[in-house]
Amino acid sequence: MFAGQASPVLPVGRRWSRDRLLRNLVLGTPLVWAVVFMFIPYLIIFTYSFWLKKYPTFVPAFQFGNYAQLFADPQYYQVLLRTAKIALAVSLSSLLLAYPFAYYLVFILKSPRLRLMLYMAVIAPLWVSYLLRAYIWKTILGNEGVINSFLVYVGILDRPTDIFLYNQFSMVLTLTYIFIPFMVMPIYTALEKIPRNLIEASKDLGVGPLGTLFKVIVPLSLPGIFAGMTFAFCLTFGDFVAPFLVGGPDGVMVANVITSQYGAALNWPLGSALAIVMLIIVLGIIELSDRVERAGRINLA
Amino acid sequence: MKRKTIFSGGTAITLALSVVATPALAEGEVNILTWEGYADQSFVAQFEQESGCKVTATYVGSNDDFAPKLAAGGGVYDLITPSIDTTKTMIEAGFVEPLDTSKISEWNNIYEKFRNAEGINHDGAVYGMPYSWGAIAFMYRVDKFPTPPTSIADLWSEAVKGRVSLWDDKSAIYVAARLNGDNDIYNLTDEQIEKAKAKLIEQKPLVRKYWATAGELVDLYAAGEVWISNTWAGYQSSLIKEKGIEVAEFIPKENAEGWMDSWMVVKDTPNLDCAYKFLNMQSSELGQCGVANVNGYSAANPVAAKKCMSPEQYEALHQDDPDYLNSLLLWENLGERIEAYTNAWNAVKSAN
Repeated sequence: MFAGQASPVLPVGRRWSRDRLLRNLVLGTPLVWAVVFMFIPYLIIFTYSFWLKKYPTFVPAFQFGNYAQLFADPQYYQVLLRTAKIALAVSLSSLLLAYPFAYYLVFILKSPRLRLMLYMAVIAPLWVSYLLRAYIWKTILGNEGVINSFLVYVGILDRPTDIFLYNQFSMVLTLTYIFIPFMVMPIYTALEKIPRNLIEASKDLGVGPLGTLFKVIVPLSLPGIFAGMTFAFCLTFGDFVAPFLVGGPDGVMVANVITSQYGAALNWPLGSALAIVMLIIVLGIIELSDRVERAGRINLA
Repeated sequence: MKRKTIFSGGTAITLALSVVATPALAEGEVNILTWEGYADQSFVAQFEQESGCKVTATYVGSNDDFAPKLAAGGGVYDLITPSIDTTKTMIEAGFVEPLDTSKISEWNNIYEKFRNAEGINHDGAVYGMPYSWGAIAFMYRVDKFPTPPTSIADLWSEAVKGRVSLWDDKSAIYVAARLNGDNDIYNLTDEQIEKAKAKLIEQKPLVRKYWATAGELVDLYAAGEVWISNTWAGYQSSLIKEKGIEVAEFIPKENAEGWMDSWMVVKDTPNLDCAYKFLNMQSSELGQCGVANVNGYSAANPVAAKKCMSPEQYEALHQDDPDYLNSLLLWENLGERIEAYTNAWNAVKSAN
């Protein structure tokens, strides 16, 4: 690090070794980063997952009891299934909202300035605190929130309804809102990369707009769709704030269970085992989406 | 959020500057991990002034937060305030050290029942200084109940569907067990825990949200989401009343749990001097009436309380009413059984 700083002119030989040092530093830094911030923490969690819960805390051991418990007790796969269901709902609803939006930006909108503005309108919320964005939905969806007050005011409801907040619907809605930029960005990029002459060729050959969309544009934007779906799914899968803020009694997700094992139950071994299972699921999904995307890739060159 | 960060950054700078400007303040420090209100500026400011010990407080939302924070490595906190169901765990895990009660001048004025509590005595040594106590009472919105509720069963009634909240804590098992008629709530058998679990799952369609922090429960009442729940007696109800919502507390016919919080010294703290100065302040009038005024909790030292409370407050907090104190089911350490309780509660939350 210090060797890389500006210094007086050095003899040629030493300058050469300095360059090499610099190069090693540049190439080595990401590796060091990955080891310190990724591998070592994962290794620690992996080690913990074989330890034994023993009142009042836990003791080192090598046994598979924690993993066995995860499979034996139905509460864990119930939560995993629920988490997967919510993650899938979030990625699908983000896709349904983000695709037409990105399509509009790339193909319909003529003004580049307006396009940039609308694009930034989606990205900008990323700079606002996650917590704040989730919290705001409480004031919109609540019993005395904006929607309920409006519906009662115009007479559609005679009393506020509970169906908007503290259930899985409000979680899917909030998480969709929070993670939709991660869906818009890759789809926008994928659509922008499609050569316009392919679309014109499709039209020239007498294919209608819908046919062009589903036979040319959608297949060519699949990499963006897969990237967006993977982002939305995996980010939702690990979320624990939305259940806490807008989830109801049936809103607990797998990250909340891990939190509770690390906290309330003081069972770090079981929490670690669950974290490893979760990591495997997420890595599996990333790998799967990568393969599907690669298999379906169309060479534009 | 962003602005708040900048603001607190500014506060930190101001604090740092004030420390530099007045060297008298920099004599020592004490770092505490505690409940909101237990280090309130209304009385801690005077302590800092007089003792020269700077107080830095971090807050917990549950008794379950103490052990993970201490297990993650020491050297950060000097004092903690777990409740009587958690103190034994702290001692047995080796997180805390014995107290020298001769260095606490008010020690002998603290309720004897508390001083002798099993949870803070271990192998002939005392590990905790009792501080405050109260009940896990129940609370309801006065305008929504023409007939005031009197039983835990009122939280299982279709009439309040979607308007019930329960503390997101293993104590939910205690509540359900009492409703089932299992009154030995700290020694439940597996079968009784299973029954309590079933009872709580049965209640789920009626529950609006399980509350996790004191502030969250206040918000739920303020937003009209919740009409009936359990509560830390004296605390949330006064915050809700400040928002103009009329709530009342009640002890159900199935009885209520009681809690008592003690100050404990973290093992090998380098700030022992300031820690004991702080304990002396907390057990004196300043600390005892401080917590009573800020949190609405009862004081563990009735002698000090009598000197600084009005007769009305003294009576309202049951300071001269040993029968009330004895009627509460004072929290007990669950030992190894805690796992069965927390697992059951997690299973309730995971159930569909």
